[in-house]
Amino acid sequence: MNLNLLSYLLFFPAMLALAVGVAQTCHKHGRPWMLRLFDDDAAFVDAVNNILLVGCYLVNLGYIALVMANWEPIGSVEQLLGTLAQRMGLIVLALAALHYQNIAVLLIWSRIKQRKQPHGRILMRPN
Amino acid sequence: MNNLFVLTYLIYLPVVIGLTLYVARTLFRNGRVFMLEIFKGKADIADATNRLFEVGFYLINIGFALRIMEVGGYWANDPFDTTQEMVEVLAGKIGGFAIYLGVMLFLNLFLFFRGRRKARQNGITIGPSTAAPANA
Repeated sequence: MNLNLLSYLLFFPAMLALAVGVAQTCHKHGRPWMLRLFDDDAAFVDAVNNILLVGCYLVNLGYIALVMANWEPIGSVEQLLGTLAQRMGLIVLALAALHYQNIAVLLIWSRIKQRKQPHGRILMRPN
Repeated sequence: MNNLFVLTYLIYLPVVIGLTLYVARTLFRNGRVFMLEIFKGKADIADATNRLFEVGFYLINIGFALRIMEVGGYWANDPFDTTQEMVEVLAGKIGGFAIYLGVMLFLNLFLFFRGRRKARQNGITIGPSTAAPANA
């Protein structure tokens, strides 16, 4: 087996596990925020949340697969580690960017909602 | 079999069709809540519409997956014959398709939200969501 193929075999499962883990964390801990945004309508929030989870899987796994091509020919173990670290760093940074973008959307949305209903529940503060 | 095109197609097809089925099932199982709200709680017409859109989703996405299946371009004149090249081509095709499917999923979610907003503007809705003001 050549080392390029081996690096794909190491890269894909590791990034798969990471992307799934991040998506599930967002799914679980984003729910209280969405409940506040959608006035505690649990059935509706769960529906939206599940669809967003699948969307998150698709986009992240699609990007991971797209990155997995045209790596330089790998001849030695040190080259393998270097290339792997570089590509994994790219994916982890992309996940981080999406994650902060997610948090920003939740915060901005709840601010807008609070501005529209100043006498409603205070959204920015925990109970 | 002197090159790996046939094997590539045999791996590609089940993966993309399985992915489309999984995504469509999840989307429309959860889309029922929206449909019920759009059709003011009339379950029969909500389920029927949901099913019709589900079939449309299958048709569009499996059709697109088949359209992009053929390995062409650079590879057409120089068919690949190593596993590494096959993995790279497959990853590119399946990854691209997954991102396309993600975009379609978000488009559908946007349409669900739009339908819900229109339904609320047009009058009374049934269910716990009526607590929210129409312009929320």
